[in-house]
Amino acid sequence: MSVFDERMALLKKVQQTDFVVVEWTLYTDTHPDDEDALEQWRVAIKDAAAARKQYENKFGPISLKSAPSRQALEVGWRWNQAPWPWQL
Amino acid sequence: MWVYEKKLLYPVEVTTCNPMLARYIMEQYGGADGELAAALRYMNQRYTVPDKVIGLLTDISTEEFSHLEMLATMIYKLTKDATPEQLEKAGLGAHFVNHGHSLFYENAGGVPFTATYIQSKGDPIADLYEDIAAEEKARATYQWLIDISDDPGINDALRFLRERENIHSLRFREAVEMLKDERDRKKIF
Repeated sequence: MSVFDERMALLKKVQQTDFVVVEWTLYTDTHPDDEDALEQWRVAIKDAAAARKQYENKFGPISLKSAPSRQALEVGWRWNQAPWPWQL
Repeated sequence: MWVYEKKLLYPVEVTTCNPMLARYIMEQYGGADGELAAALRYMNQRYTVPDKVIGLLTDISTEEFSHLEMLATMIYKLTKDATPEQLEKAGLGAHFVNHGHSLFYENAGGVPFTATYIQSKGDPIADLYEDIAAEEKARATYQWLIDISDDPGINDALRFLRERENIHSLRFREAVEMLKDERDRKKIF
């Protein structure tokens, strides 16, 4: 697998797991007492954090809520670096 | 406050330059029932709705901004390699002489975005019904876009957005019921 393909695969995983969080967030907004939903929401947030960590370790932070790893900085990662989402 | 995330909500794959399709998609970018209008509508209403529905308006508004970025990506990718001649053939000649290859908040007919697309009544039931209608109109527009487009990558992303409008409409309907329940409880006690 090329570096680009690996990047896109890990990014897709982030998009998938983040989307599950978006969906459970809206659901729990209107179902605040649904205990099952709240539990699945908690699981979804953990899954999304794990997928994000996997991507960011290799390709740098997606948002500035994560500190760039020393490794990412050493290989030249900078926040203002392309590609931006619409360039991929 | 908001924090930028360097990723799209959902992947947008475009393989063929198609400025005509880009022009049609502008209806959802800067049109009356588009994502900019949606994001601004909910973000503005949220200050004066009951606490129970502030979270929903905040979260859906935030999601709409991510939809706006998906549409911008579609328009950018569909037009970035187009020649002035191709843009003119697609009906974007007037757009090109004013904006070059840059994007602009306008509808498919070239009418610029206006705040008059947005309603805000300060009455939660009136506002939420407005929001349900907005989601249904956006869903219908996505359907017409899918019907007119033959780009598989674009259609995949448009179908995702169409389904999101359905979900938002459903959540707004539930929010109306939450407020009605609360109102009815107040009458009893």
